[in-house]
Amino acid sequence: MSVPLEPKVEERLRELGEVDLLVGIPSFNNARTIGHVVRAAAAGFAKYFPGQKAVIVNSDGGSSDGTPQIVTEADFSSPGRILVSRPLTPVHKIVTPYHGPPGKGSAFRTIFAIAERLKARACAVVDSDLRSITPGWIELLLGPVLEGFDFVAPLYLRHKYDGTITNSIVYPLTRALYGKEVRQPIGGDFGFSGRMASHYLTKPVWESDVARFGIDIWMTTTAIADGFQVCQSFLGAKIHDAKDPGADLAGMLVQVVSSVFDLMETYGERWAPVAGSDEVPLFGFPHGVGLEPIHVNVERMIGILRQGASDLREVWEKALTPEDLAALAAVAEATPFRFPDDLWVRVVYGFAAAYRRRSLPRDQLLRSLVPLYLGRTASFVLQTAESGAEDVEHVIRDLADEYVRQKGYLLSLWNANGNA
Amino acid sequence: MQNDVMSDVIGKTLAGFREELASFGPRLLAMLAILAGGAVVAGAVRLLVKWLVPRMGFDRFAERVGVTGALRRGGVSGLPSNVLAIVLSWSVFGLFVLLGIGALNIDYARDLLSRAFVYLPQVLIAAAVLVLGLMAADFLRRSVLIAAVNAGLPSARLLAALVHAFLVVLFSVMALEHLGVGRQVILISFTIVLGGVVLALALAFGLAGRELAGQALERLVRRREEEPRDELKHI
Repeated sequence: MSVPLEPKVEERLRELGEVDLLVGIPSFNNARTIGHVVRAAAAGFAKYFPGQKAVIVNSDGGSSDGTPQIVTEADFSSPGRILVSRPLTPVHKIVTPYHGPPGKGSAFRTIFAIAERLKARACAVVDSDLRSITPGWIELLLGPVLEGFDFVAPLYLRHKYDGTITNSIVYPLTRALYGKEVRQPIGGDFGFSGRMASHYLTKPVWESDVARFGIDIWMTTTAIADGFQVCQSFLGAKIHDAKDPGADLAGMLVQVVSSVFDLMETYGERWAPVAGSDEVPLFGFPHGVGLEPIHVNVERMIGILRQGASDLREVWEKALTPEDLAALAAVAEATPFRFPDDLWVRVVYGFAAAYRRRSLPRDQLLRSLVPLYLGRTASFVLQTAESGAEDVEHVIRDLADEYVRQKGYLLSLWNANGNA
Repeated sequence: MQNDVMSDVIGKTLAGFREELASFGPRLLAMLAILAGGAVVAGAVRLLVKWLVPRMGFDRFAERVGVTGALRRGGVSGLPSNVLAIVLSWSVFGLFVLLGIGALNIDYARDLLSRAFVYLPQVLIAAAVLVLGLMAADFLRRSVLIAAVNAGLPSARLLAALVHAFLVVLFSVMALEHLGVGRQVILISFTIVLGGVVLALALAFGLAGRELAGQALERLVRRREEEPRDELKHI
């Protein structure tokens, strides 16, 4: 089904014909930051891809703070405005509203459609609330595509306690399922080829949760599972507009984990035969990060796990074996507190299988994972309290290896579901 | 003479009985035949439902929407498909019983039959209200339990049980009200009980436990103010 575009956008596409490069920026009320992102993209084109025909596409969800106007009025006509010294090739702009369910996925769909129409060779999408984006990001996201890769996943510099859902569930599970070492599968900023964009458009997901909130993991998983050439680029730190890190953890966990579990159903036949895991090429220059202490209330997390072990048994028994339930009860009361890797992996696999067989309403099932996730995170924080970045990465890698080791257990649960 | 009178009376009585039997007998036989047919059909329905419904994934569906849990809490431990088979087969047999009574063609039976058919939709609607209500109560009980645990509330189970009890009572009252059973009495009782509970809680919290409540609220507010927020980012 073709993607609906505004008549003026259609006209602009006819004017432009074909382009070499495209950077898409989804937005919704990002007037404070989008100007910086647009300037970084334009400078990236000028600095790293001089002479190539490039376009910036802003796909907006109906902002009321003037976000599209800021993009429209952004001026790259002289080198001084974007701090580059060489003569500029014009950077074109398309500002368009998107259609479909409100969400980043619908915004991306419009960007993919425009990329396909303009026959762009290399494309990237970057968040509109980024404060740390530099022109170098454009080179790192588009460059590998021009070298032949179809999908570039971001690799950010992060504090050891950032991205705990990614580190304890999304990264190790994606690696074990699909056999590719993509460290941050839900990064948010990606590079991709024109043919990858066309491939995304063929998928019947644009009225589903992918259109609303699950686009990041969907793009990564689709690229890997459908056999496209995948790599990673090290982008440095990702700093974006301040959000409350503790805001609605349960909602966030449900969105992320349901997206991963939905994809497990879609690609069941692809991941089942995959064994082990392969590295993917890495672009950029990784470096370490300072480990300034941050506040984490470990006691509160353990308290919630303990309460879950006492009150949520009737829910957890829909997903976990009696042995694992007994082990969880023991973990909750143990001193010193430690949530072992093997038990955590069996918990995640048990929930994945229960999600598939719909043992409970899916939202309830995944919300009941919160105390377990908090317990596991508390254990990770305690285990790595004195560790440097490299040691922490080893701990995460060990967990990822445990996911691979227990894949047979997942298959037995999964196939039992299918035969039920 | 006396013997003639007696034989005449007996003869008339027997003749009357024969006439009654001749007219009522076929209707009685028809009723028995309908009951026998009903038993066979009900048995067939039971077997069919027990065979077909589990294959349509009904038991898993019932587990998911909370019917199994609600049945278990009500002391019914069998599979939901089995329970459905029993309910349907008895309903079918009940229908045949009503038809059988109608076949007797006596005024009282006809009246009973027509009243039963008028009342049947009310019974079905009340049953639907009750079943859906129990499912909703079970779903909300679990939602409250999970949300309360995730929020770290110490009395999560109590809170969930209160929500469940309130909804079960509410839907039971609605079902009975629909059946027209003691309509006024039930509504008034429910209002009095609910009002009484709320008043009792208000008094308990406001008077008897005001110091305790004050301390608890103070602790809660202080803890919220003192506790620094987690700086860990989950994604």
